[in-house]
Amino acid sequence: MSLGHVHAQIDRYAYTNALTKNSPVTKIFFALSTLIICVTSPSPLVPIIVFLTTTTLLLRFAKIPVHFYWSLLVYPTTVVIASCLIIALFFGYGETLVAIVLPWFSWAVFKNGVTMSITTFFRVEGALSCLYFLVLTTSVTDILITLRRAHIPMILIEMSLLIYRYIFVFMEVAAQMYTAQKLRLGYSSWKKRIRSTALLAGNLFIRTLEQGERTFMAMNARGYDGNIRTLDDLPRPRMLSLMGIIFFDVILVFVAIMTMHSWVL
Amino acid sequence: MPFRLENVSYRYSDGTLALDSVSTNFVKGKRIAILGPNGSGKTTLLLHLNGILRPTSGRVYFEDSPLEYTSKSLLRLRRRVGYVFQDPNDQLFAPTVKQDVAFGPLNLGLPTDKVKESVSEALEIVGMSEYSDKPPHFLSLGQKKRIALAGVLAMHPEVLVMDEPTSNLDPRAAIRILRLLLQLNQKFGLTLILATHDVDTIPLFANKLCILSKGKIVLEGLPEETFSQTELIRSLDLRSPRIAHLFEILRRENHLPIDKQLPLTIGEARKEILRLLDSKNMIEKEGKSYIEARTRKVNHT
Ligand SMILES: Nc1ncnc2c1ncn2[C@@H]1O[C@H](COP(=O)(O)OP(=O)(O)OP(=O)(O)O)[C@@H](O)[C@H]1O
Ligand SMILES: [Mg+2]
Repeated sequence: MSLGHVHAQIDRYAYTNALTKNSPVTKIFFALSTLIICVTSPSPLVPIIVFLTTTTLLLRFAKIPVHFYWSLLVYPTTVVIASCLIIALFFGYGETLVAIVLPWFSWAVFKNGVTMSITTFFRVEGALSCLYFLVLTTSVTDILITLRRAHIPMILIEMSLLIYRYIFVFMEVAAQMYTAQKLRLGYSSWKKRIRSTALLAGNLFIRTLEQGERTFMAMNARGYDGNIRTLDDLPRPRMLSLMGIIFFDVILVFVAIMTMHSWVL
Repeated sequence: MPFRLENVSYRYSDGTLALDSVSTNFVKGKRIAILGPNGSGKTTLLLHLNGILRPTSGRVYFEDSPLEYTSKSLLRLRRRVGYVFQDPNDQLFAPTVKQDVAFGPLNLGLPTDKVKESVSEALEIVGMSEYSDKPPHFLSLGQKKRIALAGVLAMHPEVLVMDEPTSNLDPRAAIRILRLLLQLNQKFGLTLILATHDVDTIPLFANKLCILSKGKIVLEGLPEETFSQTELIRSLDLRSPRIAHLFEILRRENHLPIDKQLPLTIGEARKEILRLLDSKNMIEKEGKSYIEARTRKVNHT
């Protein structure tokens, strides 16, 4: 799977998953609040609970296929494992677990280094699941409209709106140009490959400039006056769901405080 | 009279003279087709009607007053004159279909309920209701084209300018949209100005045809009359509708007694064929009765 492909897939699920009809406010609130608790939690227990909860929500309620979710998790997780190994092996101080001492070389694995490594691993995985929950259940459109309501500066939102739309247009254009070049043997040797890629990039750049001008023209034709108005008809958040999330968050915080001192290797 | 063009010329910044002193009228309530080969200036001409391009020389009048190019008066013009672009990717910018169609009505300052109503009505008209929450990049080109049209119809314009309305549409969608435009024209007096090189669909909707070539209007009038000038049309790298072509061949090669005005649509062709058959039968019948009469006469004597 190429990166662009994964990107498009995530976008597709954001519009088609079983939780699309739920209020984006609820979903954003859930994802962000658990994310914050997750990364600030001193023990791995809270991230584990968060990970299990969001994963269940994603697979059972949003009906995201397991294999797709799995493929999203695999790549970052390998990176996280590598980083955590480095933390475990080279960070820390104080009490040691293993120590090699030679006259010219000494190396030790510290207890708190390993603790930190394990905590970090679970924090990152938990945070990852929260973010995936957000991007897989809530479309960029919904997020932007919600942010607009939260009084984020208009210019940022309008720019994101246009960038988001035209990312896909240019991905399509780039893919088409690439295929057209390939069919005319533009990638048949190393030298041609470089030449073709440069041409494609250059062309794409000119296309973006032209596209900007034409889109501006088309927006003017429909009465654009400097403000992009959007139709705000998102589902309202339900009090019950919001209360449920707050309740869940309180429990998480409680667990985090309880395990604060007991979690030492 | 919505539009009058007076010696309009337009030169692009690279020096191409895309319109060369064009003068014409687009009368209110008419259905106008603008036909011309690639690069003849159709798009350039249409872009003048919405004030997107400003003539290098000459004037465009809307309802007898010359267009002003201040942002205020352009805004006023664009509330009444809808423009559907040739490439829907230029036009669809919003992240979902519904948001895109709502853009125009929201700019008109309509209240939310009204906007929602126009949006769902417009999507219904183009047959895309079930796509309202999809982002445009999930749609095919023809579907995007329909959304682009819906985005303009939702603004309830008085004049609809459309560049290549049927390109990339499957035959059914093309006929459906043309029929729909025809209905809007007949019911609400919507003036239609469509650029196209799909000659076979022109007789289905147009009651005025302008033929452009190299930035000039070389021929204009009723479609039936215009298409009957077969030699001229061929010299412009265009062709007549297939049906007209067939009847022309039948007249020239088989010497069938076909009207000067060639039939352009299936309906007209049917009428003409029935007429021909009828007259043939008449000849045969008359011939037979003549012979019978002769024989009777002979027998009598
Ligand atoms: N942005 C531009 N800059 C320079 N020249 C242009 C530009 N756009 C169009 N032209 C030129 O102006 C002339 C008329 O172009 P126009 O787009 O109006 O043709 P058209 O009749 O719409 O053609 P098509 O059937 O291909 O859409 C062409 O010769 C074209 O090359
Ligand atoms: Mg054109």
